[in-house]
Amino acid sequence: MLDRRSALASAKPYTSSVLQIGEAHGFSLLQVAGLAKAISPITGKLPVKVGLAVTSEGRTLMRTGPNQFWIIGPEVDDIETKLPEIAIITPLSHSRTRIVIEGEPARNVLAKGVPLDFHHSAFKSGTFAMTGLHHTPVLVHCVGENRFEIYALRTFAVSVYEWLTDAALEFAR
Amino acid sequence: MTAFRRLDKGGRIDREKSVNFTYDGKSLGGFAGDTLASALLANGKTLTSRSFKYHRPRGIMSAGVEEPNGLFAINGNEPNIPATTVDLVEGLAAQSQNAWPSVDFDLMAVNSFAAPLFQTGFYYKTFMGPFKKSWMFYEPFIRRAAGIGKGSCEKDPDRYETAHEFCDVLVVGAGPAGLTTALVAGRSGARVVLVEQDLELGGQLLSETDRDFEMWRTTQVAELRSLANVTIRTRTTAQGLYDDNLVVLLQRHENHDAARGRPRQTLISLRSKAIIFATGAIERPLVFPNNDRPGVMLASALRTYLNRFAIVPLKRALIVTNNDTAYKTAFDLAEAGIAVTMADHRNVIPSDLLSRAAMLGMAMFPGTGIADVEGAKQVTRVQLAGNHSATIECDVLAMSGGWNPVVHLTSHSGIKPVYDDAIAAFVPGGYAKNHFGAGAVTGKFGFESVIKDGNAAGADAAKAAGFDKPATPVATIGAKDRAYKISPHWAPKTTGKGKAFVDFQSDVTVKDIRTAHDEGYVAVEHLKRYTTLGMGTDQGKTSNINAIGLMAELREMPISQAGTTTFRPPYTGLAVGAIAGRTVGLHFRPYRLSPLHDANKAHGATFIEAGLWMRAWYYAWAGSTPETAYIREMELVRNGVGIADISTLGKIDVQGPDAAEFLNRVYVNGFAKLPVGRARYGVMLSDDGVVLDDGTTTRIADIHYYTTTTTAQAGEVMSWFEYLLQTQWTDLKVHVTSLTDEWAGMAVSGPKSREALQLAFPDADVSNENLPYMGCLDVHLDGVRIRILRLSFSGELAYEVHVPAEYAGSLWEHVLKVAEPLGIRPYGLEALASLRIEKGHVAGLELDHRNTLDDLGLGKIAGKEKSYVGKELRFREALQAPDRWSLVGIELMEPDKKLRGGSILFSAGDEIKGHGRGYITSVTWSTELKKFIALGLYQGGLKHEGEDIICAFPLKNEQVKARIVSPHFIDREGARLNA
Amino acid sequence: MRIPCPHCGQRDVGEFRYGGDASKARPAHGTGDMKAWHDYYFLFDNPKGPHDEYWQHVLGCRQWFKLTRNTATNEIGEQP
Repeated sequence: MLDRRSALASAKPYTSSVLQIGEAHGFSLLQVAGLAKAISPITGKLPVKVGLAVTSEGRTLMRTGPNQFWIIGPEVDDIETKLPEIAIITPLSHSRTRIVIEGEPARNVLAKGVPLDFHHSAFKSGTFAMTGLHHTPVLVHCVGENRFEIYALRTFAVSVYEWLTDAALEFAR
Repeated sequence: MTAFRRLDKGGRIDREKSVNFTYDGKSLGGFAGDTLASALLANGKTLTSRSFKYHRPRGIMSAGVEEPNGLFAINGNEPNIPATTVDLVEGLAAQSQNAWPSVDFDLMAVNSFAAPLFQTGFYYKTFMGPFKKSWMFYEPFIRRAAGIGKGSCEKDPDRYETAHEFCDVLVVGAGPAGLTTALVAGRSGARVVLVEQDLELGGQLLSETDRDFEMWRTTQVAELRSLANVTIRTRTTAQGLYDDNLVVLLQRHENHDAARGRPRQTLISLRSKAIIFATGAIERPLVFPNNDRPGVMLASALRTYLNRFAIVPLKRALIVTNNDTAYKTAFDLAEAGIAVTMADHRNVIPSDLLSRAAMLGMAMFPGTGIADVEGAKQVTRVQLAGNHSATIECDVLAMSGGWNPVVHLTSHSGIKPVYDDAIAAFVPGGYAKNHFGAGAVTGKFGFESVIKDGNAAGADAAKAAGFDKPATPVATIGAKDRAYKISPHWAPKTTGKGKAFVDFQSDVTVKDIRTAHDEGYVAVEHLKRYTTLGMGTDQGKTSNINAIGLMAELREMPISQAGTTTFRPPYTGLAVGAIAGRTVGLHFRPYRLSPLHDANKAHGATFIEAGLWMRAWYYAWAGSTPETAYIREMELVRNGVGIADISTLGKIDVQGPDAAEFLNRVYVNGFAKLPVGRARYGVMLSDDGVVLDDGTTTRIADIHYYTTTTTAQAGEVMSWFEYLLQTQWTDLKVHVTSLTDEWAGMAVSGPKSREALQLAFPDADVSNENLPYMGCLDVHLDGVRIRILRLSFSGELAYEVHVPAEYAGSLWEHVLKVAEPLGIRPYGLEALASLRIEKGHVAGLELDHRNTLDDLGLGKIAGKEKSYVGKELRFREALQAPDRWSLVGIELMEPDKKLRGGSILFSAGDEIKGHGRGYITSVTWSTELKKFIALGLYQGGLKHEGEDIICAFPLKNEQVKARIVSPHFIDREGARLNA
Repeated sequence: MRIPCPHCGQRDVGEFRYGGDASKARPAHGTGDMKAWHDYYFLFDNPKGPHDEYWQHVLGCRQWFKLTRNTATNEIGEQP
């Protein structure tokens, strides 16, 4: 039997009294390229601009390019089979590792590596940014007041994870 | 002997909290709130250091970042730290520098007697002869004698961080102007960051005694601290200003602890919509003979030591000035019971100052300067010159030559400062968009006017950042500003025998500047480089303007025409560690792990860095050194079956109605007619006709291709595809996505590889008929879609098995387990690379972005009729030259020797000199031929097949005989591939 | 330096890759005109002042775009 194994399978979750870092495994990621109006009847209303995420029927829909979307759903998702033939579909579930960082200093930890404004008023829940962390491309998705999901390239996941947990050290109380 | 003492009361130090520290190993005590400098003075350490060239005795001269003399090595690992900038903390260890055996008794001070030798240009003039490399010979000796601190060879034990920050309004400096602007901007609702290099907010106010000032200060600070939208960063220096309002801040942390992850310093890249420069001003010294003796100090610094640190001269102080501000020092000292003598270069002194001085019983000498300062290790006597020529006995000599606004940061934006006659100093020559100045930096020194201007600047900056709601201005204390009066005095006309220092840290005297002038180095930038003026760690904060004033005098021109040097970041010295941050050790750069990394580890792989990847180099089963292991691994693949991790290959998903047309354009060979289910080797060129990359492309479906690139060029090729599709061929309907991380890959290679696959995928038909060479088959195992490509890098019957990354480890174990009876084992990068050399496949070492298709023997695969990227420039004359360095095989002819990568190739009769006729790109031991073989580039290429050559390796002084052969060492017909 | 990505907004220059002079038109594919390709590939002006350039938001949305950058001041102008 073939088993799935995450890039962070042997990484330890990081916990301090103010901050948690760990992996959120078990999602599917489908990249769909095409016109929003052709895709949205299946997925639900798609976000109008890059950087906005919406949730629809248990999935998170992100616009990651002018005509490109990410559909993040449960680990097993049959949406691929329902999408119109005109859409260009690329499954990417294995290409990204999802790291979750949550806690009061989460924004400060991210600001160490990412040249973006992480102030509450500037990086709000429901928005995301494709940017660089530790020289690697990441998608940082704010999913709560001080909770972020980071989609890192699978092959860089261990490096990024170690970087994050090291960056977190100074905030431990 | 000492010149200073500490008072029993007063100052801002906390006498309840004593702090122990060491100075040159001796234990001393100070108080919380002290700097290292104030603690040293309080302990009677007047002589603290030796100067750069002459090893002259020096003492603390200032109370701030401008300190040129009092440099120390701190905690054994960081040299050249001004004592004035070091907060006194428990256990601090300060070590003096540039003196041997000690600062009190320094043998190197003989340099002082040899002083005529060390005058300006001395090095250039003396050590450039008599032979060509004289300077290189002398330099180490000179460096030992002249110098400041030594860097440590130890690893920095501390931790450093870097961070990004954003705000609406940044205020640099927390003196009266900074506090005012920050508060006004803060009241407007803007996100404000206020940075202050001191540990306390207040700037000059911290050295004042007036209770109204202190009330005002604490009121503003309290309100600033109460505002949620204002961030206050003390111990933080704005080091540089860069494009797009980026200011780099260095924050020094109070309680650093590497073991707990707490950094010593953080380098913050802050981007602000608007910036207010409230950087204040620095007092400049006066230039007179022996003005560097310990106990000679800036007047404002002496006042700071008195009012902030409760340190006074032992009994008597002499103050020399050319402006009014030094009188504050004089009056405060006199009130503290010190006998004060005042020498003022000016003949006319404001009457209110004269009457106050008289009231306090001070001796006054108008129209008088300094002729000489006596005292070997500290000031003892001062001879006056001018209207009066008295000799004054004193413990401390304080000087004020006027005030220089700190124009460094505003100048970083490229705006040159301009000379302002009214204050005899340079002020910012203007401000970039959304930049504002406030306070002393603008040349305004009066408290009331600073508050008034600060209110305006704060409101303007907030408005520039989008906060135009008018905010309540900050109140003044209703005092009356006195006009600032100065009569500039740059240097004495004659200096006699005594050295009159302009740059204390670099030991540059008036005489040096006169010499530079006489020899034609009159431009300020030339003056700086010829004399080393302003080139020390203090970057000339106390010396530059005096030097410019003196040079302008010598040239008989206004200072405004003499110009300034260029101000560059950083404003103050900073630890290299702070620039590196955590980009050290494991995090020096990111590392990339194959989806098979854990599996490789479990099978005893030794890893090697390849770009960012950690790749399996060789496996424990084959041996414990790479030299032996790769040979066993090669034999495994040639005779049985091996499995290798090839997940690092670049993989690109190419989809869309025009995918065939797109690939047909970028590859030199045709892809339009590639049948579905088949793969093809392809080569692509850059626009200039030079080979960019090679790889294999498989047609998955009519409008869907799966392309692989080399590991090294994966990112480059992806960007190139995107460039062409997004900017040039926007009419083509193609979407490309990197699959490098989505799919893992493993090569199953060797004569028994088909049997291995049959065992691994019992339901699939992997026969030669169903899966021929260059065929593609999608199979399913446990519901997982797996792609098998029949490709070979080794020249053997071989397959690439591609699988979604998270299943890779599991599939790898499955194949190894079920094919165990065939003797399957993993093989690593070294064997992978060696097998391809035997086969004559080019790889990254040959594809060096300088070769053409023909150079690599690939000319035949280019379509004659079709067009492709790079076709036009491929046929440039020089790229068609017959003697180009082209791909050849090389066989070693001396069995007991070795071939080495990088060897320079010569024809058998050539003189072994210069660049030769080519070089070796890749070397391996051939398990088939039982000898060393290599690939290389050789002038004229295979036209020389069969000729003898010499492979020279100058680094080891080796020359070996070899022969040019075909690069295809094995199976030229491809019988094995097609088996 | 900050660069305005047309899709993601203002970002740090470190997220981008410079892609060369955008003021010249790439010769049409397959023309076979060596001179045109030579001039396109090798001959450039080196202006002090506004310069049309290609940039890719390589650590972001991976989109290529044109912008005008002042080579003397790094000021970014309107998109050409």
